[in-house]
Amino acid sequence: MKLAVVVQRYGADINGGAELHARYIAERLARHADVEVVTTCARDYVSWRNELPPGLEQVNGIPVRRFRVRRERDPNVFGRHSRQVFERAHSIADELAWLDSEGPASDELLDYVSGAPFDFVLLFSYRYYHSWHLARRIPEKAVLVPTAERDPAITLAIFGPVFRGVRAVMYNSHEEREMIQAATSNHRVPGVVVGVGSNVPSKTQPLRFRQRFNMNRRFAIYIGRIDENKGCDELFNYFHRYAATFPRGLDLVLVGSAVMPVPAHPRIHHLGFLGDEDKFDALAASDLLIMPSYFESLSMVALEAWALGRPVLANGRCDVLKGQCLRSNAGLFYESYEEFAETLYALESNGPLHARLGLNGREYFARHYAWPVIERKYLDMFARVSASREEGQSVETLPNWWSRRRSDQPPATELLRAIPSGPATTPAADISPALDRRRPA
Amino acid sequence: MTDINIRSDSIDVEQIMRQIRARIREKRGVDYTEEEIRELAAVKLEKFLDPRGVRSDLLEQFRRKREATLPPNFAFEESTLFETHRPFLRFMRRLLRPILKLFFNPNPLIEALHIQSKLNAQHAALEPLYYEVLHNLVLELTRTGIEVKNLKMRVESMSSRLDFDERRARALEGVVVYRPGAATPLQPPSGPSEAKPHAESTETQERRRRRRRRGRRRPLDGTQGRPSEAREPRSTPHGQESARREGGAGDQGEARQDVSRDTGAPPTGNPGNGDASGES
Repeated sequence: MKLAVVVQRYGADINGGAELHARYIAERLARHADVEVVTTCARDYVSWRNELPPGLEQVNGIPVRRFRVRRERDPNVFGRHSRQVFERAHSIADELAWLDSEGPASDELLDYVSGAPFDFVLLFSYRYYHSWHLARRIPEKAVLVPTAERDPAITLAIFGPVFRGVRAVMYNSHEEREMIQAATSNHRVPGVVVGVGSNVPSKTQPLRFRQRFNMNRRFAIYIGRIDENKGCDELFNYFHRYAATFPRGLDLVLVGSAVMPVPAHPRIHHLGFLGDEDKFDALAASDLLIMPSYFESLSMVALEAWALGRPVLANGRCDVLKGQCLRSNAGLFYESYEEFAETLYALESNGPLHARLGLNGREYFARHYAWPVIERKYLDMFARVSASREEGQSVETLPNWWSRRRSDQPPATELLRAIPSGPATTPAADISPALDRRRPA
Repeated sequence: MTDINIRSDSIDVEQIMRQIRARIREKRGVDYTEEEIRELAAVKLEKFLDPRGVRSDLLEQFRRKREATLPPNFAFEESTLFETHRPFLRFMRRLLRPILKLFFNPNPLIEALHIQSKLNAQHAALEPLYYEVLHNLVLELTRTGIEVKNLKMRVESMSSRLDFDERRARALEGVVVYRPGAATPLQPPSGPSEAKPHAESTETQERRRRRRRRGRRRPLDGTQGRPSEAREPRSTPHGQESARREGGAGDQGEARQDVSRDTGAPPTGNPGNGDASGES
């Protein structure tokens, strides 16, 4: 079987959520199939500037073919188009212009993947230029890994036909699947909730981490980009208040590059970006992981914390994280400062609770996110789709020139509000959502 | 803080969260959630705040005005008027720009729009701060208003209970003092012989007191072992006063010890540890 993994950026040092996800999947599937990664020369996801050389190279033993991006993204133009499609009534042509301005536009990449003899093409991140165009060009080979968050882009009219036209969809979480099905009505398309595993080391050295970074006190950890969009602003605010209330409570350790100022506080320690070894040692040395993000399609770091037996304290306003905490019984969540303080204190002071949540996390990870489980789900889906191969499968065509320019599409934010939210508390990995949906009143 | 008991191997996060929320409600005293406080802050301010000071719909008006008047902002540079992602069009515009400039001078327009764009950005950056300050202020005022109202109610309740207790105490005092045949009023003890019956009736207690006092004092002379001699100085006025003081203190001490023994509570010390008392 010959597989292509198409993703917007790729590299051993590129740690974005979808990109890392694509790398892990490519490396694991390479044990079962002939895998080639097709990507761009970009390293920066904001500008898509061509920084890496085009052509073929090997990354961790996987062939990676890079193509140049036609033009860099102009933030002003992209911002204008985003406002147009998200906040105002607009046309299909506006949505196409938005997609074009978002990028990364590379026609060479599209031509190569369309012409090469791949059995299946795994398209990562539904919202980018390459995924939309390839899903339309080769729908009979396209398997989409949407990595969709709850943002207005999912309700744009141009994505409906793509989700309904591909061969299969590999979802990251139950919440993501329900949101996409509600937005695009693609119930007919074969889909499975897979997520992604993680290369968690079998042995970690928390003491080495404590010695190296001189961490003597117990601490909670946050791993990821330190960004307002990730809820870090709220986290700092809450932690300040918590630290004032509990002078001898946990410290907060931040791991990751900062795109916002980190407040100076004796109990907040920013360590910057760490390699995998240090990261896992830090996680093992911590008491718990805090995930303050509002929007996640799947938090890999939360899965890693669970794999190491650490409970997670998540932002309860993120449906995916809340759903995972409820399904795994391995984490608590908060929606206000009072809840933050109470849950953090409970995790800090209640040993049996902490231990039980950690144990549940380990079991949850082993049951749903261990690599053999993930690989099996992908291979089963390929087999299922191969067995039911439909000739002449195609994506719905775009409206004609005049219809595309008619401003009859409502603002995407309005449509998003109409999509039901809340965690899906399905206990098993892949059960019909209609049967298991249980929303809080 | 929440005390969650883990009694079995299986735990239910949903149930734990329910316990935590119940505890928060209990601590807050009033059954208002954060959302309810926000609602109160937005709608019913006039009930808690001075309506002359803060308008009840201030936040709502501010938010509406902000949403309605938020213009899209973008950087306006020299080339903005002519930019396009289509290379041919870009080339044509560049080619024809000198001809366009024959008809009018676009530079003042570009400059003005550039400045305006910067002003818009500054304004847009400041506005969320104003909004946040206002929002937090109103929220805190509402919270404080609710708290003040609750405290007022508690003060009223306590003052009425205090009144009742005072009246009851006065009534009881009257009954105890003037009831005929009640216990004789306290008389100063005149000597060892007069004090004997009383001493006999409370012989055990006296002995206990004497023993303890002996233990405390340093041995000065040989008379200290005799109880009657030891009590003699009490006949003087000064001795009466000091004995009353010592005896009273001793009684209270014993009473405290008895109570602590009965209830099983520790006689002294903080009921909780330092952390808990300081943090709760």
